[in-house]
Amino acid sequence: MARTLVLASALLAAACFAGAASAHDDAYAKPSAPPSGAAAFAFTLPEPGSYRLPPIRAAAGGQVLAEDGSRIDLAALLRGSITVFSFIYTRCADICPDATMRLADLRERARRYPALGDGLRLVSMSFDPSHDTPSVMRDYGALWRTSGDGGAEWRFLTAAGRPQLAPILAAYDQAVAPVDPKDPTGGLDHILRVFLIDRAGQIRNVYSMDFLDPELVLTDILTLAGESAGD
Amino acid sequence: MLRTSCTIAGLLSLGVALPAAADETCLSPYMAKITGHEDYVYVWTLGVDGLGDGSDKLVTIDVREGSPTSGKVIDVDSVGSRNEAHHGGFTDDRRQFWATGLDTSTIFIFDVASDPANPKLVRTIDDFEEKTGGVVGPHGAYALPGRMMIPALSNRDGTGRTAIVEYSNQGEFVATHWMPTAAEAKKIPGGEHADGYGYDVRVLPRKNVMLTSSFAGRENYMRPFGEVAGDPEAMKKFGGSMIIWDFHARTPKKVFQVPGVPLEVRWAWGEDKAHAFTSTALTSQLWLVYEDDGGEWQAKAVADIGDPQKLPVPVDISLSADDKTLFANTFMDGMTRVYDVSDPHAPKQIYEKKIGTQVNMVSQSWDGQRLYYTSSLLANWDKSGADNEQFLKAYSWNGKELAPRFEIDFTGEELGRPHMMAFGAASLYAN
Repeated sequence: MARTLVLASALLAAACFAGAASAHDDAYAKPSAPPSGAAAFAFTLPEPGSYRLPPIRAAAGGQVLAEDGSRIDLAALLRGSITVFSFIYTRCADICPDATMRLADLRERARRYPALGDGLRLVSMSFDPSHDTPSVMRDYGALWRTSGDGGAEWRFLTAAGRPQLAPILAAYDQAVAPVDPKDPTGGLDHILRVFLIDRAGQIRNVYSMDFLDPELVLTDILTLAGESAGD
Repeated sequence: MLRTSCTIAGLLSLGVALPAAADETCLSPYMAKITGHEDYVYVWTLGVDGLGDGSDKLVTIDVREGSPTSGKVIDVDSVGSRNEAHHGGFTDDRRQFWATGLDTSTIFIFDVASDPANPKLVRTIDDFEEKTGGVVGPHGAYALPGRMMIPALSNRDGTGRTAIVEYSNQGEFVATHWMPTAAEAKKIPGGEHADGYGYDVRVLPRKNVMLTSSFAGRENYMRPFGEVAGDPEAMKKFGGSMIIWDFHARTPKKVFQVPGVPLEVRWAWGEDKAHAFTSTALTSQLWLVYEDDGGEWQAKAVADIGDPQKLPVPVDISLSADDKTLFANTFMDGMTRVYDVSDPHAPKQIYEKKIGTQVNMVSQSWDGQRLYYTSSLLANWDKSGADNEQFLKAYSWNGKELAPRFEIDFTGEELGRPHMMAFGAASLYAN
């Protein structure tokens, strides 16, 4: 219960972060509903390693900015560890904080498996570079994790601008558009995609809100962690 | 390891508005939905030799109220060949429409986002059999996050043993999951009924289950129906099973014996619902697959569709977004029947109407107020002569009766045999 309250508080903080905007308030086209309620993910999971996650495709790269403003090669960052990679924007009031809260939950659950160690990394990248500067991402990241708290590494990235961002979004099929083109400060229409990427940089699963169940993602992570190099 | 996630309760306490989990109304739950009035109906259409260019084509119909071209064909995208055009579906971002060809095992990918009124063929997958390890007859296209699930009907030998195949949204092959046979399914409940056939696949994410149905192999679906019906051995080669799967692991959990070719699968949308309907083509029944109070999945027949003795051949069904009304078509008599399925265990027929000499597909809008029907089943199974009407007919539904809106004669317009319908809306991509 304590963790739930902490996370809810963080969510509330995120919703208020820098003036939240509704991403999905047009009445015409709506994404599917995220699960709701305590029973949202009430089903039995397979045991880790009892199933396969076939490679879907290679995770794309590009030049991105870290929280300190330094340039990072995304392709390099997404290799060498099992990575949970998500696209968000900090002004989002609904899907993004919900998803980020679930990732925080995942990070907490992963503590049960110290063997994962440095082998697990979370990466959340903004698709709103005009607002989400490196410093904004740093502050946003501070809502969700504290450096040295013992959890998995969690990076919050952004891009230098739209020209640098566009090919990355295209490579991940992440469509983003302003709810109101006349209001550049308004919300952004998008669907949520979270990618599970293996140590070789292959996308092994893609989660929508319907399947962004922290325990399920953790089961997938453990499945990948249990693979031998030849798998 | 049964467990629940409690973190979402915190979200609800913030009063975040969640959209209703419905669709228009048989699409994958993983995609954006048109909750208002659809702008376009895309019709995946079989080519007919000697009619127009004779090729399969994606036909776009303007259905916008007040449009000067409302009720008219506004775009035709021919693929330049005949492939036994059948079903299809959007990717999860609804930017592509994947359309399948049962005969040639070709998949045609149309861009519907750049100009929703004018889809464009952007990619063709023509090595399906090779990449999938011998699967043929891609039937549908069902969106998963970032990928497509393709239930197939047959294999390179032409029999009914088939598979479910996954592709990335970029058209790259990901995996083949063969439908189990009785020999392979010995360890799961009902495994003795597993027959290896396939047809439809639908997922209920909340329960982590996938439900599949079963039809027939290429040796039957590409053969004239009269020949099949007159061949006792051929009539034995139809599916009679449904399988509930662990979706995440892609492994079968339980096999149900559902005699007489169970076809389309339609899950209820309500968050408190855990049931699906299907119709059986050769036994003319409506079946319910449901989770019982003990958490066990069950299947049972809950209603006849028409008079089974007359072999009306139920085909497509459509469940309303509120889970209360189900439309069921029967091909042979061209009828649509409407059931009150508020109690899914006891459907009650509340209406019926003859749509044409033959009818197959039915699609309804999110609000349940508009229904669209098309006529074609398979090139070699459609009726002949004057009974071979080929149409799209649009109706409005007021909860009691269907009222005609418009119709398009696909033969008169030299288009072909209309089959699968899907809705488009410019507002999905307006920004």
